[in-house]
Amino acid sequence: MTSDFADLPVADTTEAPPLHGRAADLFRRAWLGVLIAGIIATLVLPPAWTLLRTSLGTMQSDMSLSGVTLQNYADLLASPRLGTTALNSIVFATCATLVSLLFGGILAWLVERTDVPLKGLAYVTTIISLGTPYILYVTAWLYLLGRAGPFNDLYRSLIDPDATPFNVNSLAGMVMIEGFLWSPLVFLLLSSSFRAANAEMEEAARMAGATVAQTMMRISLKLAWPAILALALFVFIRNLESFEVPALVGMPGRVDVLTTEIYRSIKEMPPRLGYASAFSVVLLLIVSVLLFFYGRISRHAERYASITGKGYRPRPFLLGKARWPAACFILFNFLVVLLLPMLALLWVALQPFVRPMRWAALNFLTTKQFAAVLTSPHYLQLGVNTLIVAVTTASAVMLLTMFAGWLAARRQIGGVISDQLVTIPLVFPGLVLGVALLELALRLPFPIYGTLWLIVLAFLIRYMPYGMRYSFSGILQIHPELEQAAGVAGAGRGTTLRKVVFPLLWPAMASGWLFIFLLCAKEMSLPLLLAGPNSQTISVAMFDLWSNGQGGEVAALGLIWAALMTAVAATFHVVMRRQSATTFGH
Amino acid sequence: MLDVERLSKIYANRGDGPAGGLQEANFSLAGATFFALLGPSGCGKTTTLRCVAGLERPDHGLIRVGEQIFFDAVRGVSVPMNLRRIGMVFQSYAIWPHMSVFENVAFPLRVARDEKFTARELARLVDEALARVSLDGFGSRSATRLSGGQQQRVALARAIVRKPRLLLLDEPLSNLDAALREEMRNELRRLQQEIGVTTVYVTHDQAEALEMSDRIAVMSQGRIVQIGTPQEIYFHPASRFVADFVGTTNWLTGRLGEARPDGLRDMTLRNGQGIICTAPAATPAEAHVSIRPENLALHAQGTPRPPDTNRLEGNIVFAGFLGTINRYQVDIGDAVLQAYAGASAHHKVGDRVALDFSFHDAVVLAE
Repeated sequence: MTSDFADLPVADTTEAPPLHGRAADLFRRAWLGVLIAGIIATLVLPPAWTLLRTSLGTMQSDMSLSGVTLQNYADLLASPRLGTTALNSIVFATCATLVSLLFGGILAWLVERTDVPLKGLAYVTTIISLGTPYILYVTAWLYLLGRAGPFNDLYRSLIDPDATPFNVNSLAGMVMIEGFLWSPLVFLLLSSSFRAANAEMEEAARMAGATVAQTMMRISLKLAWPAILALALFVFIRNLESFEVPALVGMPGRVDVLTTEIYRSIKEMPPRLGYASAFSVVLLLIVSVLLFFYGRISRHAERYASITGKGYRPRPFLLGKARWPAACFILFNFLVVLLLPMLALLWVALQPFVRPMRWAALNFLTTKQFAAVLTSPHYLQLGVNTLIVAVTTASAVMLLTMFAGWLAARRQIGGVISDQLVTIPLVFPGLVLGVALLELALRLPFPIYGTLWLIVLAFLIRYMPYGMRYSFSGILQIHPELEQAAGVAGAGRGTTLRKVVFPLLWPAMASGWLFIFLLCAKEMSLPLLLAGPNSQTISVAMFDLWSNGQGGEVAALGLIWAALMTAVAATFHVVMRRQSATTFGH
Repeated sequence: MLDVERLSKIYANRGDGPAGGLQEANFSLAGATFFALLGPSGCGKTTTLRCVAGLERPDHGLIRVGEQIFFDAVRGVSVPMNLRRIGMVFQSYAIWPHMSVFENVAFPLRVARDEKFTARELARLVDEALARVSLDGFGSRSATRLSGGQQQRVALARAIVRKPRLLLLDEPLSNLDAALREEMRNELRRLQQEIGVTTVYVTHDQAEALEMSDRIAVMSQGRIVQIGTPQEIYFHPASRFVADFVGTTNWLTGRLGEARPDGLRDMTLRNGQGIICTAPAATPAEAHVSIRPENLALHAQGTPRPPDTNRLEGNIVFAGFLGTINRYQVDIGDAVLQAYAGASAHHKVGDRVALDFSFHDAVVLAE
């Protein structure tokens, strides 16, 4: 038989492999997993430990801890604040969840399953609103419903000149604003599950003789129920740990919830760190329990999901005469979620000081606020700070989770433990993580307190779970045989990762990077606790300006920043699509 | 060339996926052999292949190619897969979508640790490999703009470009349509003969295994149940499983009688009729006899019986015309037997017919 293979050089076949023996072999397979799991553990475990330790210790005057005591918990239980703030928290979170669920849910059903007009408007509203910092929304609503705002103003000029019917700094005001804040997300998530639902199940019910209402109640709603419940629990958790609305809306009206109570006890002089830590531990436990149930429900919801994957559009329910009333609902959503807040902000930004909306005030229109923001080196510095934090964090998170995601998805040594460690920060509300890192930074031997790097560290811990989701599902989409083929072809693990896995993974990495970048650029609660005089970020500055009564500058700064972020997101999106098209040829 | 001794790999059952695994596999291949691992899904054939490739870590055993030990559990030797110098074609082809056809094929040369290639050498070797699989001139194409058959050829070119010591093929034809599959069968075999590389081929398709291989190992439930040439496997299956899995066969059950001087034995079927069959010496009295449908000659009732044949009679219960042949099912009272007849045969359902078969074509097999 002719063969150009049989006469291979003998030396080649007898050569010993460079590494052999059990120990060397184990080292070769394990070092990456041990390294990555070690880094994640170093990031995640100390804050949890510090929090617990501080809550169990007595703080000395030099900030050192001594002894193990339950005194902080005893104080907590004895204080009347625990009962009132916990009750406020629960009422606030429950009502706000209901508002966003009803509002976003009805919108999602109308858009996905009926022939309502103006569907496009609902999407545009949602997507723009997702890119806007929460604090900007909150300030807009504070103006709209505030003393000088158009609603009270209208009431006064029409009905009773001395009354102030809308008191925004109340529990009801908080519920309304928080509800509108989360309804776009509810809309997005529910519309995707309505879209994925198998319409044949509904059609089967209709064929069996059920009316539209019966089909809705007995089939559609029952099938969507686990998904709705899981979403409700998720929004509830986010509301429970939310800080923007309670701080800006609730605190001035002396409506306190758990998060603002923690914030207050930190900002007191001297700070009551033990008390705040005990409070944080309580909040952390509540969130852990809720997350546990969330995990169970959402697993259940996945089993219920009847995705056909045929790209088949179900026939929409015909609304008939109700079409235009339903369209009014979409218009209302556009008005409330996008148009009114933006107009209010623009108005405030274009006035020399916060004043009611009047024709007469048009004479005072000024670009002074915009000019002040654009020319001030202080704001430029804030912008640069924020960008440094957001870029560094997003890059670090994606780099770390890229390896962790690969280890977990490919079931390598260290993969499972990395995956579990990386989800721990989910139970930390932003403010609680801030408290823990504050305490940690005070105790670390190197001077990280008051620098931007502390904020980067906090964001890195907070957003690792999010980055992990992007990396993990990105890796899962790469067929394992693509990697194995590289290995068999002679590439080592490093070469395989560099030449095959990472080039294929990068679209997923890029969208994860953008998501985390935008979150870092708008998040407020963590930097508020951790920022020093020279490490302020945009959202912290907006909070300070608002607290000082400089509403006009907040609005101008916020609008410029939101426009910048929207531009970044849009550019990124376009570039990525083009790049991905040239890489993958479709 | 390739020696596998007592190779075992047990999977802890995680509750999901098929329970696979491999127990005590032994085989030894001479150079340039085309060797097929044949069996149903979950029988351990892919596990065997992946252990040889270095993609899985066996629990026990030894794998040796030529003089080099790839894996030895006793001595704790395990050569990483990238140093084994093996060519492999995956079931999904695993063509990297972010590289051109040329870059896909050049990859093994670029990452080689023991040899460095100049740009000219590299281009020459890649072109040579592409020419071998009839893809001359496709080098600059994007790998995603290829048909299934072309992707298959790229995967093959990539597997042979570094002149591997061993070529491993994991069900490479299962994603192709029927016509293309037959064409690629011939081409794969021709290519393997041309370059003379020892090849291990995993398949669940008995026709592929029979047509392409020099030797076949039939696997079932993690064990190799028979190794032999295609003819040995087909005509002398070692067990009931092998006979069933490779080709189609009819089964009759009965009691064995006295051994005859010519090596044949009497058998009494359950309906009382006697036949003469071939049986190994130490077979229990209650036995199963296998008769291939193509060895059953179907005649109208009353035709004289040829010498040295058994005859069974029955009624046709099913008749199917397949173009080249007719397929009949005949109820002989004890069992329903399948038999073939030429395209011009015209028996009808309900006809009484005779089935004749040679003593040597009725083979008693162990369970």
